[in-house]
Amino acid sequence: MNNPYLPIPVRLTKNFIETEDRLIHTFTLQFLKEEDENSFSYMPGQFVEICVFGKGEAPFGIASSPTESGFLKFSVAKVGVVTTALHAMQEGSILGVRGPMGNGSAVEKLKGKNLVIIGGGFAFTTLRSLITYILHPGHRGDFGELTVIYGARNPGLLLYKEELAEWEKRSDINLVCTIDVPCEGWNKRVGFVPTCTKEVAPCSDNTYAIVCGPPVMIKFTTPVLEELGFSPGQVFLSLENKMKCGIGMCGRCNVGGKYVCKDGPVFTKEELDRLPPEY
Amino acid sequence: MIIKKSELSSFLDKLTGQYQVLAPVKKGLEFYFQPISSGVQADLSYSNSVTAPKGILFPQSETLFNYDVQGETADMQECLDTGKKVIFGLRPCDAKSLVLLDKVFHGEKYQDPYYLSRRANTVLVGLGCGEPRGTCFCASLDGGPFGTEGLDLLLVDIGDKYVVEVVSEKGASFLTGASLPLAGKDDRAAAAKAKETAFQACTINLEGLKEKMDVNYDDPVWGFLHEKCLGCGACTYSCPTCHCFDILDEVKDSTGCRVRNWDACMFPLFTLHGSGHNPRPTGKERFRQRFMHKFKYFVDNYGAFACVGCGRCILNCPVNIDIRQVLADIKAGGDEK
Amino acid sequence: MQVASLIQDAAKRLLAEGQVELVLGFSEGSLPLRSTPGFVRRPEDAVKLIWDHTCENNLAVYLLKRKSKTAIVAKGCDTRAIVTLIQENQVDRNNLYIIGVPCTGMIDRRKVEALLEGQELMAARVDHDQLTVEGKDLEKTVPLAEVLHDTCKACTCPNPVIYDELAGERVPEKPAGDFNGIEAFEAMMAGERKAYLAEELSRCIRCYACRQACPLCYCEECFVDCSTPQWIGKAARTEDNLLFQAVRVFHLAGRCADCGACERACPVGLKLSLLTRKMVKEVKDLFDYEAGLDLERKPVLTTFAVNDPQAFLVKE
Ligand SMILES: Cc1cc2nc3c(=O)[nH]c(=O)nc-3n(C[C@H](O)[C@H](O)[C@H](O)COP(=O)(O)OP(=O)(O)OC[C@H]3O[C@@H](n4cnc5c(N)ncnc54)[C@H](O)[C@@H]3O)c2cc1C
Ligand code: SF4
Ligand code: SF4
Ligand code: SF4
Ligand code: SF4
Ligand code: FES
Repeated sequence: MNNPYLPIPVRLTKNFIETEDRLIHTFTLQFLKEEDENSFSYMPGQFVEICVFGKGEAPFGIASSPTESGFLKFSVAKVGVVTTALHAMQEGSILGVRGPMGNGSAVEKLKGKNLVIIGGGFAFTTLRSLITYILHPGHRGDFGELTVIYGARNPGLLLYKEELAEWEKRSDINLVCTIDVPCEGWNKRVGFVPTCTKEVAPCSDNTYAIVCGPPVMIKFTTPVLEELGFSPGQVFLSLENKMKCGIGMCGRCNVGGKYVCKDGPVFTKEELDRLPPEY
Repeated sequence: MIIKKSELSSFLDKLTGQYQVLAPVKKGLEFYFQPISSGVQADLSYSNSVTAPKGILFPQSETLFNYDVQGETADMQECLDTGKKVIFGLRPCDAKSLVLLDKVFHGEKYQDPYYLSRRANTVLVGLGCGEPRGTCFCASLDGGPFGTEGLDLLLVDIGDKYVVEVVSEKGASFLTGASLPLAGKDDRAAAAKAKETAFQACTINLEGLKEKMDVNYDDPVWGFLHEKCLGCGACTYSCPTCHCFDILDEVKDSTGCRVRNWDACMFPLFTLHGSGHNPRPTGKERFRQRFMHKFKYFVDNYGAFACVGCGRCILNCPVNIDIRQVLADIKAGGDEK
Repeated sequence: MQVASLIQDAAKRLLAEGQVELVLGFSEGSLPLRSTPGFVRRPEDAVKLIWDHTCENNLAVYLLKRKSKTAIVAKGCDTRAIVTLIQENQVDRNNLYIIGVPCTGMIDRRKVEALLEGQELMAARVDHDQLTVEGKDLEKTVPLAEVLHDTCKACTCPNPVIYDELAGERVPEKPAGDFNGIEAFEAMMAGERKAYLAEELSRCIRCYACRQACPLCYCEECFVDCSTPQWIGKAARTEDNLLFQAVRVFHLAGRCADCGACERACPVGLKLSLLTRKMVKEVKDLFDYEAGLDLERKPVLTTFAVNDPQAFLVKE
């Protein structure tokens, strides 16, 4: 029997300070064994439990894309025991990874559609995975127009700045970054994500929206999408309930009868509307 | 087959050579399932144990694996328990609870090797309930004082001896070599008679409960049902069907172990996010979760109520929250009566 | 008049006049010798309130974080907890109406169970100071005094310390505290005591019912739940169970109301009062202080007197 609790050993090859406030680091991990790397197949939207030996485990969305082979990437905010330990970790250290977990099937449903991807704060990580996946030459043709709206409190808190700059140059993606309040040196858009969405979101015909961010952002963005004509079935959300096992057994991540770890973390708004608001 | 009460302890003695035998043992006023080294320690004169024997297969605390991480290597040692066990004299409700736990721990995509390996290596010898407690309501939950679901063998007390009924193949092969005398016609008649009376007592009316719970998430009833609940773990930790757990690390120098401990949906920390946000912020949501999980979500996911009617939560609740009353109130709905 | 009707009348009046929004009392439980906390909000529901020898819970635990005007039915020991909660600014006296009840002791169900030779308790009744209990085919009558909780037997404060009205006549008080229950425990040698506690606490299932039932265990984050740093192992292991109770008792030094709520809540029947009462005794011996007896007297651990014993500062 395969033991779903045993982590796959990985090496931390890069511990990169991602944001100006230094509270988010991006970690690059490489498998110790080649067979592990080969058997680890994932899709954007999935997550893993990262294990810091001696400190415990915590779930993180995969920020790298399956189209980028040889490593896994995560961006992690420092909040508690595991995340603090991770931030202090030396490059070269051994960590563990359990997964991939969650349903990665959402991507299939997005094929053939125009997409508007809306992210705020550090929840942008799994959206990076999705965007990178879509922009891959092998996949770009499977999807229609791509609009990305990404908001942060200030420019220093935007993740993946180099990539954002590259995406801005491309014609097959319309990237709109916004910050909450004006700031010196920022000559782009200012304003909250919901307002920005109202202004730049594409027509809802044959379009799906993927929303990932803090609860407040989600709360105010979903009504905007509804106004723009997006039906609940056209809106995808990713939930972040507290998790431990990641495999539907420990009983803590449920929203109604659904387990976020096993049945999610990505749900359509239509699915969530049928569940109690416990997220 | 028959086991004479006078020969029970020697029967158990023989088993202890081949198996780890766990049986009800009296400590103070209470009974606990514990490993016994000699047959005389077992005391079957019990109504039920304080905590459920599920803890034998899914311990309150267990090490999942040990590890030693040094430089370039991570050495991990799984701690699977594959020892042969017999749980002797467990009540039918507790056996049935294991069938429910099987559904959780044997998922479609993932299987829990710790629970399942213990489960596969354990023989369950049940003891029918000639005298159910006043708090028992197993017969309303697809079981009964002589229910056999989940069991390998069932003992029926007929006075000075037990009639042994074979329930599963595992039970049958367990008995080969035991050379027990066969049950006579009178014994079988006595066993049948013992069963008749017990059933009626253990019922409550659950009709319409699930249908009600499909639509009552916002019912005002939740606003007052939870009020006196203290938010402790006395109910969930004694319940044979509760399966929530936590996973954490314990370390000594470079070696450590990953441990899992029972956890409970009644504790606020259970769902508290790292950000401070809590999807179930008050006692009301947590109390509703406990009942929704048992009587709606579990039914939706696995087709059965996650309660076997053992009545432990009734006996152990420090403020006498009685699940039978709670279910009746849920069905009635609305404001406080 | 019966105490229960006095309570009911008070509750009805307070609710009808709008003086309080809620009356916390006791109502009929679902099992013999059990009551359950009753939350009454409508005058017509006041009849649900009862008073007898089963009203063992300390309802002061429900006062924490309550904003609206509340009345509470409180025994002597319960009022001691309330006094401490007021002193610690956890309860606003102005929002509280205390229906004090002089108490003659609460029945310890475990003592009753012990009488029943393994049979289930089917029925019980109290006649004057005799308790009659029935099992399936056995009936026993014993003096009520024999089956009271140990904390009740030793109680020196059966009459409410503060109240807005008293339901019933004051009862005679014992002149001085007796710690009979814990003497044997104190007399043990250290090693013996440790072994005894370890054996007892090996049964603890870390359900925290004791903590949750205690009105004075109200910390936002209890030390057992703290993860940075983690003070104590989370697994239900004997050493950690011991540490949990030891630290809990220290956190309650000079605060414990000696009400026995923790012990009554414990599903595995641990004699937690051995520890809590030992601490009560230590504090009394050292500082001549008993928690919650006097609203005006400063809580012992917040004050300093020149003649305080200092044995714990200097090793003598
Ligand atoms: C599917 C999924 C994907 C996720 N993806 C990411 C990701 O990509 N990047 C990322 O950074 N995070 C992500 N998270 C969140 C991440 O899992 C948590 O931040 C992490 O579990 C925290 O672990 P920890 O051990 O550091 O915290 P813990 O030590 O468990 O700390 C949290 C606990 O400490 C206390 N605590 C800590 N901080 C606070 C606070 N601010 N207010 C109040 N109490 C507090 C609380 O008791 C809380 O339970 C994801 C979560 C899920 C479920
Ligand atoms: S919910 Fe209560 S009655 Fe039902 S199985 Fe659990 S402990 Fe027994
Ligand atoms: S609930 Fe049923 S099976 Fe369980 S102890 Fe009671 S009578 Fe026996
Ligand atoms: S045992 Fe009683 S008080 Fe404790 S959580 Fe369960 S219902 Fe609430
Ligand atoms: S109530 Fe009893 S079993 Fe529960 S934590 Fe306290 S001492 Fe342990
Ligand atoms: S994380 Fe354990 S059930 Fe979802």
